[in-house]
Amino acid sequence: MDRRRFLKLAGISGIGLTVPNKLDELFNDAEASVKPALVVATGISPSKITKAAIDAFGGIKKFISRGDIVVIKPNMAWDRLPEQAANSNPEVVATVTGLCYEAGAKKVKVFDRSVNDPGRCYVQSGIAGAASAAGAVVSYVDDRKFRDMKINGEALKTWPLYKEIFEADKIINIPVAKHHGLAKLTMSMKNWMGVMGGSRDRIHQKLDQSLVDLSMVIKPTLTVLDAVRILTANGPQGGNLNDVKKLNTVIVGVDQVAVDSFGATLFGMKGSDLGYVKIAAESGLGTMDLTKINIKRIKI
Amino acid sequence: MQNLRRVSQGIFLLLFLFLFIQTESKGTDKLGYPVKLFLEFDPLVFITTFFSSHAIQKAFYFSIITIVVTIILGRVFCGWICPLGTLNNITSSLKNRRSDTRGRNWHRIKYYILIFLVISSVFTLQLVGILDPISLLIRSFSLSIYPMFNYSVRAFFDAIYELNPKGAVDISESVYSVLKDSILSFKQPYFNQGLFIGLFFFIILGLNLSERRFWCRHLCPLGALLGLLSRYSLLKRSVSEGCNECGICASVCQGKADPDRKEDWKRTECMYCLNCDDICPQNAVSFGFGTKNPSASNSDKEAIESGRGIDLGRRRVIASALAGAVTVPLFKITPLAGSNTFVAKLIRPPGALGEREFLKRCIKCGECMKVCITNGLQPALLEAGLEGIWSPMLVPKIGYCEYRCTLCGQVCPTGAISELRLEEKVKIKLGLAVIEKSRCLPYAHSIPCIVCEEVCPTTKKAVWFETVKVKDRKGREKHVHQPRVDPELCIGCGICETKCPVKSQPAIYVTSIGESRSEENQLLL
Repeated sequence: MDRRRFLKLAGISGIGLTVPNKLDELFNDAEASVKPALVVATGISPSKITKAAIDAFGGIKKFISRGDIVVIKPNMAWDRLPEQAANSNPEVVATVTGLCYEAGAKKVKVFDRSVNDPGRCYVQSGIAGAASAAGAVVSYVDDRKFRDMKINGEALKTWPLYKEIFEADKIINIPVAKHHGLAKLTMSMKNWMGVMGGSRDRIHQKLDQSLVDLSMVIKPTLTVLDAVRILTANGPQGGNLNDVKKLNTVIVGVDQVAVDSFGATLFGMKGSDLGYVKIAAESGLGTMDLTKINIKRIKI
Repeated sequence: MQNLRRVSQGIFLLLFLFLFIQTESKGTDKLGYPVKLFLEFDPLVFITTFFSSHAIQKAFYFSIITIVVTIILGRVFCGWICPLGTLNNITSSLKNRRSDTRGRNWHRIKYYILIFLVISSVFTLQLVGILDPISLLIRSFSLSIYPMFNYSVRAFFDAIYELNPKGAVDISESVYSVLKDSILSFKQPYFNQGLFIGLFFFIILGLNLSERRFWCRHLCPLGALLGLLSRYSLLKRSVSEGCNECGICASVCQGKADPDRKEDWKRTECMYCLNCDDICPQNAVSFGFGTKNPSASNSDKEAIESGRGIDLGRRRVIASALAGAVTVPLFKITPLAGSNTFVAKLIRPPGALGEREFLKRCIKCGECMKVCITNGLQPALLEAGLEGIWSPMLVPKIGYCEYRCTLCGQVCPTGAISELRLEEKVKIKLGLAVIEKSRCLPYAHSIPCIVCEEVCPTTKKAVWFETVKVKDRKGREKHVHQPRVDPELCIGCGICETKCPVKSQPAIYVTSIGESRSEENQLLL
């Protein structure tokens, strides 16, 4: 995307946000030919940028239909507070939940197979409270609900995965962007580890390939990458506020590879620096090369 | 009156169970009032803890209330409040006893047990929790009865879930989720020795079938202490002249206080159940603060009112005191009681006092194990010597110490585990993680694995990587991250051991070296 086009788009979306809904739709229709592959929204309020990014991406109604059962998969794997950036931002999760209900979703489910004690992760992350308040059904992972799934990937052939993911009408992935010792960064593709049952620790032996295999079978309707705060070191659970950087950004897209490739740039890396992004792009899961896609940036 | 008593017993039993269930994390670092409230009213724990450690927990001042109440009202605690007493009461009623009148004459045993425990506590050996009824009850419930209950309920609902008989699952699952939110534990607890602790408890309950309230009558050391205190209680039982010595009161007496024997009755054994008052066909028995009984002659009156003291026998008192005293060195001649022997696997909870001081205070009530969210705190067997049986130790293979949790210190009734603020707690070292290179994937097999580093919770990770170039069998070069432990930063929480993919015998494990509570058991200069 060149600068001129970016300015034009930014201008249009800026106007779009200040004019009534109906007009907004007109603009969207007019801009259908330059539909962005990613929307990157920046601003102080996590809820406003989330809403604006999804609106700029076509609006929630494009993705969620009346009567849908929606699974939102945040990262709430760690017993950490929101400001420590180890879990997804609770406001982002709550906002997406609210949008789904606005679009007529029947039920929004939120869960994650956490690493620390689930009770603490759900509460301390702030996600259980915020998502419940927005109407989500927040439940702890129930061991009886894992089913052996055929993955037929390079590294993973079958694995027990959480059946609610496959029973849902729509899936929205809300990872947080953060540092990871082996994967370097963990974002949307790695967030699927949270629906894996069994001894998922073992996948670290072939982590990059396993993440790609997994992302091949789980097809999110939408990915909202939370970069309100990012964790730059001592990930994936951090704890030290000096490792946290406030970017006030969310990235919305459907292509997981593109989302993660863009996410890498937030840390001064390229998509190709991440093994799993590279393999995923080679396997045709999505686009790693950011110059080949339309990225729309908005500021609130 | 007996219905009033039953209501009181029911209320206190329910309160006990309510507090017991409250003693669980709700995702934050705060609890509702934990079940230690009952222990705080327990004068036996108060006195022996004071003797053994010369420390007084402020909350134990509650137990003075129990002492005062007993001096005024007698052993109403046993008859009206004690939850173990109530359970004994209920199991006793399972057996129909028309002919049961006398029972055994063993009631003195509990006084000898009391003397034994108190004397050994004076000489720093704190064994009271093994037999103190409240401690025993909390431990049995925490480590055995409640896990059993959870297991059964879960197995039942899981079976319905698996079999799925015509639409029953929807109903059963909604009932199940209500139970999960109320009386079930967050996850199924498992405890080493749960079987033995449970058996011990069932034997105590089972003894009621041989004789009503067997434990309360013959064995309970707290009952004995309260019995001694009730000797001169102001609430008195009197028998009027109308008594025709039918003896029916003896058949309903819970304490086997021989209420039919007029001047020979044992008032220290009376639990104030008031059964004799209720049943007396002549209405001759009454309880009251008044001493007026004009029709009885003076000497008779005195005898009836005061009852006979317990005749323990001087020799036997001395023998039990001696036994208590002799047991102390008997327990302390293990190398563990010396100052320079440490047990690698004896990892105490965060905030635990130095081992000797810890043992003087820990009453093995099991509350810390109940509240531990990862199930990592387990009852010791002989790791800390016989003296430390059923005291808490962290077994990281089962569960680790959650970095931001301080609950065990909050529930400890005696301060054996001190209550820490979070910022203090995260600095406490329980031990040090050690890597076993022959089992660790990156070291032994050049296979990538970073789990220990990933889960390490210190804000600068204690587990770090050294990137090493290695060759595989075919001579191909590759880079692997080999984990290393920084002994300055490691707090020994054990999450690396819990989560290590080498499950059968983790390739990284914690031993007690470096534990903050010991000056001697240290590695670094």
